[in-house]
Amino acid sequence: MYYICCMNIEFVQNWFSQVKKGTLSYIILIILDEKEYYGYELVQEIKIHTTLEVAEGTLYPLLNRLKTDGIVDSKWIEQESGIPRKYYTLTADGRETLQEMKKIWLNLGSAINKIQK
Amino acid sequence: MKKLSFTTSTAQKIYDDYLNRVSRCTRTLPEDDQREIMMEVNSHIYEATLAATPQTEVEVLVNALQSFGAPEDVLQPLVADKKVKQATRTFNPRHIIQALYLNISNGIGFVLFAVVYLFIAALGILIILKLIYPEHTGLFFKKDHFCFLGFTTELPGGLTELLGNWFIPVVAVLMIILYFLNTLLFRLLKRK
Repeated sequence: MYYICCMNIEFVQNWFSQVKKGTLSYIILIILDEKEYYGYELVQEIKIHTTLEVAEGTLYPLLNRLKTDGIVDSKWIEQESGIPRKYYTLTADGRETLQEMKKIWLNLGSAINKIQK
Repeated sequence: MKKLSFTTSTAQKIYDDYLNRVSRCTRTLPEDDQREIMMEVNSHIYEATLAATPQTEVEVLVNALQSFGAPEDVLQPLVADKKVKQATRTFNPRHIIQALYLNISNGIGFVLFAVVYLFIAALGILIILKLIYPEHTGLFFKKDHFCFLGFTTELPGGLTELLGNWFIPVVAVLMIILYFLNTLLFRLLKRK
């Protein structure tokens, strides 16, 4: 109880906001590694697997950046409704990038665990 | 693009207003980019309303739009990225000014690019001044030492203009080189 009263909530929120920003692209790559997703579906998948509360629209600038960097690719697929879906997939470069990010994430995690002991 | 149809006029108006906001946010982009963004937002809204739990049409739509976020905020980085891409591909000064405006809050690097573009514009003004006041504009030296490049109302003794008739072509070439270099560096910075 004492801890909750005295912790700097604003500082923690700002820090968490930066962590969210920094990890969102990593989370997207992990999810896209399973299969291709369209935008709305990808947002829901992020929400299911994480506690990240991001405005859904913020995902699209990030996907565009990943596409510009050659990490993901996208294609429009027509639907019976007449409203097409844009599907996103990992490129070969994207898969290699993800493997590298996983290594970095594991190293970082183990380094932090060692410090925390 | 196929737009969504709602049975209530309130829902239809909310939807149309939202798409108009998206359109306003993206109007400085090429038509293909505008269409692409609009289709993506429209698809997201459609899927969100389709997946929503049963409520009134207006509630479903408002929840979907709130979850997406205000287009002016969430689409700003996307528009800024695409604008830089267009500006550095076309080298069009109008697009470069718009791209700088959209990115100026993204760090000191963009402010420095804006300063260099202002310097290039100042060189352009010097060319005009050289045509009007040829004696008072140029690359001035005093006793074999560089004094200044620019315009002066007074010409004190010992001040010599070095370039003469070559001033305009030299400054024009300098402007072109700086413009291309700065624009290429702008592209590289945005990629980072």
